[in-house]
Amino acid sequence: MQPIAYQPGNSALHRTHPLVKAGWMVSVSVLLFLFRQWAAPLPVVALSLLLLRLSGLRLRGRRGARLLLLTSVGLAFTQLLFQDQGSVLARLGPLTLTDTGLRDAVYVGGRFAAVVLLSFLFVLSTDPNDLAYALMRAGLPYRLGFAGITALRLVPMFEQEAETVYQAQLARGIALDRRGPRRWLDWVRRLLMPVLSSALTKVDMLAVSMEGRGFGRMPHRTFLRTVPFTARDAAALVVLALVTVGGVALALQQ
Amino acid sequence: MPTVNLPAAQIATDGVCATTGRHDTLVEVIGLTYTFDGTTRPALLDVSLRIGAGDFLVITGPSGCGKSTLALAIGGFLFQQYAGTTTGSITVSGKDARTAPVFEISDTVGLVQQDPEGQFCTLTVRDELAFGLENRCLPRAEIADRISWALDIVQAPHLMDRELKQLSGGEKQKVAIASVMAMRPKVLILDEPTSNLDPQATADIFEVIETIREATEMAVVVIEHKLGYLAPYGPDVIGMRDGSLTGDADDAPVPTRRFPHGVRADWSTPRQPPKERVVVTQDLSVDLGDRPVLNGVCFSAGPGEFIALMGDNGSGKTTLLRALLGLQRPNSGSVTVLGQDTAHTPVSKLARQIGFVFQNPNHQLFADTVWEEATMALGFRDAQHDLATCRVHDLLDRAGLAGRDDDHPYRLSYGEKRRLNLISVLCARPRLLLLDEILIGQDPDNVDLLLDLLETAAAGGTTIVMVNHDPEITPRFATRLVFLAAGRVIIDVPVAKGAAALRDRGLAAYLPAGTRGRLAESTRRPKPRHAADSVPAR
Repeated sequence: MQPIAYQPGNSALHRTHPLVKAGWMVSVSVLLFLFRQWAAPLPVVALSLLLLRLSGLRLRGRRGARLLLLTSVGLAFTQLLFQDQGSVLARLGPLTLTDTGLRDAVYVGGRFAAVVLLSFLFVLSTDPNDLAYALMRAGLPYRLGFAGITALRLVPMFEQEAETVYQAQLARGIALDRRGPRRWLDWVRRLLMPVLSSALTKVDMLAVSMEGRGFGRMPHRTFLRTVPFTARDAAALVVLALVTVGGVALALQQ
Repeated sequence: MPTVNLPAAQIATDGVCATTGRHDTLVEVIGLTYTFDGTTRPALLDVSLRIGAGDFLVITGPSGCGKSTLALAIGGFLFQQYAGTTTGSITVSGKDARTAPVFEISDTVGLVQQDPEGQFCTLTVRDELAFGLENRCLPRAEIADRISWALDIVQAPHLMDRELKQLSGGEKQKVAIASVMAMRPKVLILDEPTSNLDPQATADIFEVIETIREATEMAVVVIEHKLGYLAPYGPDVIGMRDGSLTGDADDAPVPTRRFPHGVRADWSTPRQPPKERVVVTQDLSVDLGDRPVLNGVCFSAGPGEFIALMGDNGSGKTTLLRALLGLQRPNSGSVTVLGQDTAHTPVSKLARQIGFVFQNPNHQLFADTVWEEATMALGFRDAQHDLATCRVHDLLDRAGLAGRDDDHPYRLSYGEKRRLNLISVLCARPRLLLLDEILIGQDPDNVDLLLDLLETAAAGGTTIVMVNHDPEITPRFATRLVFLAAGRVIIDVPVAKGAAALRDRGLAAYLPAGTRGRLAESTRRPKPRHAADSVPAR
């Protein structure tokens, strides 16, 4: 199982400016919550799935993807089974299926699925490094930006270290691969010290490396990397503005 | 810059200061003593040193002698990031390094630390090279110019568009050096730049250092154990011990221990190849993620064999070791250890008869005291047994850890931790011992102590498989050489035939310096017992 993470590619979605993509994701998600029409999430879900397919992004076999999609189905079922307002379509013992229940199921389940799919689209098609640089160029203080980049670097490193320490413990005959209630307690206790000590060493080293290269010396810094903002990005941004304004206006009229 | 007369009995008469008459002094250290808070022994003791433009200086000495601390002091980090007391003075380009901000010192001094991976601040080669220049707010065009210059100097222009995590160890080191070079410091300090590299990558890095020396006026300071490689370039060599500079390398520590079983002079095989098999792999293939790492490995070993497992970084050595203990399950093929198939046996059960020592000593210290750590593998029954505890006492004693029973393992030095790691697996008398580059970063004294313990274990019938990068070690101890390339065994011969096999395959970098051929002829030096002996005097 691989985590849900950036999948390199060269589709139109991949090439879109990270902040434009983020804008679309946030704006459409918010609009879905403002709109009360029961069928509103359906076109968003359909378009998101189409876009995933067109951009060559894969959800199959990704850790957590199934869980999130199943949650939306679960939410839909809850509405279906426990909403007893509206005209009754069918009865099943103590449970009633109503037309309101059906609409609520589509609305609540679909809205969750739409928001999840939108964020998948964003995460799978955006290099987090590009996002960090784009944010810094857009005015995010560079210390915060590099805190994010450092996390991107260190988290997998610590995961690997923890794995190594775990293996080192197995190799010493500490029976962590057997099941039992004390297993987790043991594991955490013996894992913490080695990983912590190595983390502190790494942080020391990184501090020397960053300061030695002038990090934090100036209030601002320059950037070699450009995150290109194309005419297409500009157009996407204009459309986004129109959709957002129009959407909000419509929602207020409801 | 005022001229300072260094006190007598210092290094002023040879090496370092001899060249400074011609140059501006960039770094001047006078009588520097530094003690970390919470310790009583000074990490630096009355150190005096002068570095001028164009100097080429090598500092060598045992692990924990203060080499890295000296590097941190020259870079100004020691006084800003650590707590301790200082006496004496240290001046960098006329600024007092004890009080000046690190930024200002870093205009003069660039420090490349030991572990390239740990000092990366970004995710791609281009970003990494640009990092320091961006922090100085240089315009984009100049940044672009400087980073291609720096990557050219380290002979790696092809790496520009790569991600850092995809690079090999040698490539990472080149990028780490280039990213400091791009800042154009006047003094470049390299702290054990090759400690994690295979012999070929090591030779590449030393060539890079020579290119830097030829192409720039930079003073280069290298902290290094592998003096054999650097000797042809004619550096000034200073030894260091217990925080003090000891003049030249001849005064550097010479191993004091001798091996009980005698050191073999060359690639000869003393033992008969045994018939019983302790470990057998058949057509073993292992993938890590999508990447095939081992590719149809057939390998077996019998009791008392001491196998040197060699190969370039990334050739699959560590993965093979892990597979032998079942830490890595085969994708196809099989591993049978002590008659048990690793695919169906829990690792913790196999581990009762197999010892595994990992690369990083800190990854395998789990107990609160040295004694507890050493006896952990014995189990409760044996730990009560007089004979077993007696054996552990004996091992600790031989490893120079007697009387440290109640100390916390994290308070030990790097070399002591390494010895404790080995003892903690040896005390259970394993039948198979798997060792992953345990000699990295160890000074000759420590190497001797570790090999001494291993020799005894092998003589007692333990099978040893040791991943090893150091060409000098293999012929001294191994009975057999196994060489991996791209996940396949390409050489598997008794060590007596190892030299010929390596030479036939164009792997001369893996031969001891004295038998390497061209290089040996050009330097005309005897095979060093201790590499420092072979550095020519200037």
